Amino acid sequence: MSLAHETVASLRRRLAKKEIKSREIVTDLLKEIDAREKTIHAYTHIDRETALKAADEADLSRPLGGVPIALKDNLNANGDPCTCSSKILEGYKAPYDATAVARLRQAGAVFLGRTNMDEFAMGSSTENSALGVTRNPWDSSRIPGGSSGGSAAAVAGRIALAALGSDTGGSIRQPAALCGCVGLKPTYGRISRYGLVAFASSLDQVGPLTRTVEDSALLLSSLAGHDPRDNTTDSRSAESFLAKPTHSVKGLKVGLPKEYFIPGMDAETEQAVRAAADWFQKNGAEIKEVSLPLTPSAIAVYYILATAEASANLARFDGVRYGRRAADPKDVLDLYQRTREEGFGPEVKRRIILGTFVLSAGYTDAYYRKAQKVRGLIRQDFEKAFQGCDLLLTPTSPEPAFKLGERTQDPLKMYLADVFTISVNLAGTCGISLPCGFTKSNLPIGLQLIGPRFGEEKMLQAAHAYEQSHDFWRRMPPI
Amino acid sequence: MSSPKLNVSDVATLARLALTKEETEKFTAQLGQVLSHMEALAKIPTDNVPEVHPPDHPVLRQDIPSPSLSLESALSNAPAQANDLIVVPKIVE
Repeated sequence: MSLAHETVASLRRRLAKKEIKSREIVTDLLKEIDAREKTIHAYTHIDRETALKAADEADLSRPLGGVPIALKDNLNANGDPCTCSSKILEGYKAPYDATAVARLRQAGAVFLGRTNMDEFAMGSSTENSALGVTRNPWDSSRIPGGSSGGSAAAVAGRIALAALGSDTGGSIRQPAALCGCVGLKPTYGRISRYGLVAFASSLDQVGPLTRTVEDSALLLSSLAGHDPRDNTTDSRSAESFLAKPTHSVKGLKVGLPKEYFIPGMDAETEQAVRAAADWFQKNGAEIKEVSLPLTPSAIAVYYILATAEASANLARFDGVRYGRRAADPKDVLDLYQRTREEGFGPEVKRRIILGTFVLSAGYTDAYYRKAQKVRGLIRQDFEKAFQGCDLLLTPTSPEPAFKLGERTQDPLKMYLADVFTISVNLAGTCGISLPCGFTKSNLPIGLQLIGPRFGEEKMLQAAHAYEQSHDFWRRMPPI
Repeated sequence: MSSPKLNVSDVATLARLALTKEETEKFTAQLGQVLSHMEALAKIPTDNVPEVHPPDHPVLRQDIPSPSLSLESALSNAPAQANDLIVVPKIVE
């Protein structure tokens, strides 16, 4: 069996016993890439020689020693491109490592390639990439989700063992759900954002996409921890997650927020998620209905706050210090305007305009400050729910993967697809998506577990117990 | 459906984006729809609700300089450079 089809955890055990070499893992992955990457297009860059060399030099005594991991193309890795799937960063070579990247390097990981994404992480389908679309490995006429679509498609398509992504409104969890793999958004402040190209600084988080919950916990253990370079990281020390799996959900109080099970939602999705809730109940968990009353306003709050922050964060792309610069600028204004007009795609421009508007004179109170207050209420909704529950259980996405091109002319409809993931970013808590079923047409369905702030351990334990009692994680796409 | 408040052209100037006429029209329609969706927020009572600005306890450090990017790496991506400086169009006439 190809080493590319195994999990990080099982390969680590075999590497430690010297049964296999890291070079063999990289070689097997490259074979899979040669077979399927042409169809999937998950990667923006693959560096075979550097990966093989790093594999030969890997320190196998480290927690991720010898394991090849893919990086979303918005994480700076010293000496490598970091395009954010945008024309405006063509030619840019990162002069430093993001902390998340440095920590994986310290843990012995090997970097194989960089994955495709919606431009500057703005999107839910990876169709906003300036470097071509990525296709869902389960059905190549469909989206892989976004914005970490490349990472999810690579992991699910067996052309990456594991990958890093980023999640601002669901961009790890939603593609994980649509591609049938595990995607974790940690608590805001758990993993450093230093070196992650900023989209919305109060919402962004780095996180792993993996085949299993165990692999997710392995990566999280190496990534998490305070970083003096990111003063939003929490001062409590990094933990080792899922070190002792309990395989039990007995006594767990699991809340089902009624606003996440709405009339008209995809029937197969609802059925699969309710079946998961039944499994929890049959295995000793207490299921209770809870309410997150402000759920319907979450999209509006998010698209005001995230775009406002993005309009500020993307002001740095001005053609001056790095990236693309418009040719023969007349003056500084022309330099800025033409560089940005030529360099940014339509979704990025739309969001910059919206974000600039909600921060502009005369509108800040009605939009930005109002949204910040409603964000406070959303946070309180979650805090109240967690007073009576250990975890919340919801669908990750209202529906399975839709067809490429279906929503590209309707931004609002595209935004509404984020409804189940977005509140978790606004509240700053942790969430994980894992497979809980397949539709009749063999498309993956994702289950989301939501934990309170810094509640990753309990969430991972429950996710692992559920996952290992089912076979969904073993199923491989037809491609 | 466009919003009377959002003048895409004016806002694009603020955001230093030189939009085409087609883009201005298209975005006006699309963002008008998005803004309509946001009107519902006005109905949510938020008197005496504090604005949320994570993190909960901002952390500052001592003002002690420490090593950062070298000059060479900081300039390594500059589109045009000379004499350890980034070259840009003239700003002041």
